Amino acid sequence: MILAIESSCDETAAALVDDGGRLLSSVVASQADLHARYGGVVPEVASRRHLELCVPVVERALEDAGVGFDRVDAVAVTEGPGLIGALLVGLATAKALAFARRLPLIPVGHLHGHVASLYLEPEPVAPPFLVLLASGGHTLLAEVDDHGPGMRVVGQTLDDAAGEAFDQGARLLGLGYPGGAALERLARDGDDHAHEFAVAMAGREGLDLSFSGLKTALRTAVLAAGGDDAGRADLAASYQRALVRSLVSRTMRALEVTGRDTLAVVGGVAANGVLRAALEQECARAGVRLALAPLALCSDNAAMIASAARFCAALPYPEYLARDAYATA
Amino acid sequence: MLLLSLDTATDTATACLWRDGDVLAESATAGRSTAAQHLLDDVDHLMRTAAVEPSQLDAIVVGTGPGTFTGLRIGLASARALGFALSVPVHGVGTLDALLCGDSVDVACIDARRGEVFCKGAGIDLCAIAPAHLAELIAPGTSLAGDGAVRYRELLEPAAVIAPDASPLHTPWARHHASLSKLWAAPEPLYVRAPDADRSPPARAAS
Repeated sequence: MILAIESSCDETAAALVDDGGRLLSSVVASQADLHARYGGVVPEVASRRHLELCVPVVERALEDAGVGFDRVDAVAVTEGPGLIGALLVGLATAKALAFARRLPLIPVGHLHGHVASLYLEPEPVAPPFLVLLASGGHTLLAEVDDHGPGMRVVGQTLDDAAGEAFDQGARLLGLGYPGGAALERLARDGDDHAHEFAVAMAGREGLDLSFSGLKTALRTAVLAAGGDDAGRADLAASYQRALVRSLVSRTMRALEVTGRDTLAVVGGVAANGVLRAALEQECARAGVRLALAPLALCSDNAAMIASAARFCAALPYPEYLARDAYATA
Repeated sequence: MLLLSLDTATDTATACLWRDGDVLAESATAGRSTAAQHLLDDVDHLMRTAAVEPSQLDAIVVGTGPGTFTGLRIGLASARALGFALSVPVHGVGTLDALLCGDSVDVACIDARRGEVFCKGAGIDLCAIAPAHLAELIAPGTSLAGDGAVRYRELLEPAAVIAPDASPLHTPWARHHASLSKLWAAPEPLYVRAPDADRSPPARAAS
């Protein structure tokens, strides 16, 4: 049984997974409300909160699974990439938990974790596949050949992450932070063809993505449109359509280029209903098998870290005692 | 009673194994922004030296700062996790209180960066102040200790007595945290300062 801890950004999370890849418990304490008044994640504020929450979420995960810490065989933890101060709180907690019982420690890459959200029972998706990983911190297309941490990146955002683009769009529309889900809700009442936002990188070679131009276009449109509700809904719908089209067109092209017959979609943005529907439609047309991350495991969580840990090297005691975290991959 | 005490609030991480008033083993590892990361390595070494297992510990005592935010959190997170895993209590002791245990130290003084020191003692309540201001507050001949006193020696020394840089008085030895049982409190961090985001003017509406 693996106990995993995730604290790379503004979610403090712990989860337990058994040897067969069955999720026994998953606890996520989101700090979103705490950061809302700043309009984004403040690293020092996040780190302070992680310290308060780390042991309580571990305790809760064990309670939810109905087991004591003495039943845990290994401790897994996100070691990067992410906010360094935030990561260090989770890592210190994990190292000390493992050290207390001389258990092995399994350091896990956060991006591998997102991909491994697909490896859990009851419906695990096995590699090989092309993965679209789109979250608040990362947006990339990669080929995954096996369950291990390796992946071959074939395209990635040149500026903002897709989730960041959703959040910033929401902010421009006065929806607060984090606003991805609120933007999707507002867009339901809007006409997604009301504004023609250019799809970034359309017609350009390669598989990279870009979202910063779109954000600028939205800002200009928001200023021009004034502020009535119908107008905001139209802007939200049109902006979302442009984001989704950009992600879908790059992803479908990556499938062509790599010749992969399975597409996996993970990360916070994978929870977007319009993106899910568009990919379902396109994949059906192209004869590609589509595997969408379970909704509960799209945004940051520790279940995915525990899942990834099953396919990572475990460091035996005492090899991990001076292990450090890393901010960027 | 077997205690493990530790402090990572400053650039010198300290740890101590303590049994009923006796130091079984102790360590002090210096290294800006790296000392805290090696804390468990040091603790492991102490335990091997003293032939002690984690499961034999009766309590954990941890320095609660103030000091570097990240270092402080590494110590507190480690202590809380050890306490949870071993089902033993975790107590906190201020890092300045540990420094005040040094022989005839009047005011403890920790480098707070940004041109300030965290200090306490001789009637001065815990605060972050400029060294020049501290020099005005203290009586002539007051004895200062800690890495803040070392760093701002030139500003402080006309008014204060400060031991040579290499003196052990400037290190928050974890044996002090173990011995200060009358000060043991909840292991909560003493940040003293709010996060920068709470101190700056409101952020612009949208970027």
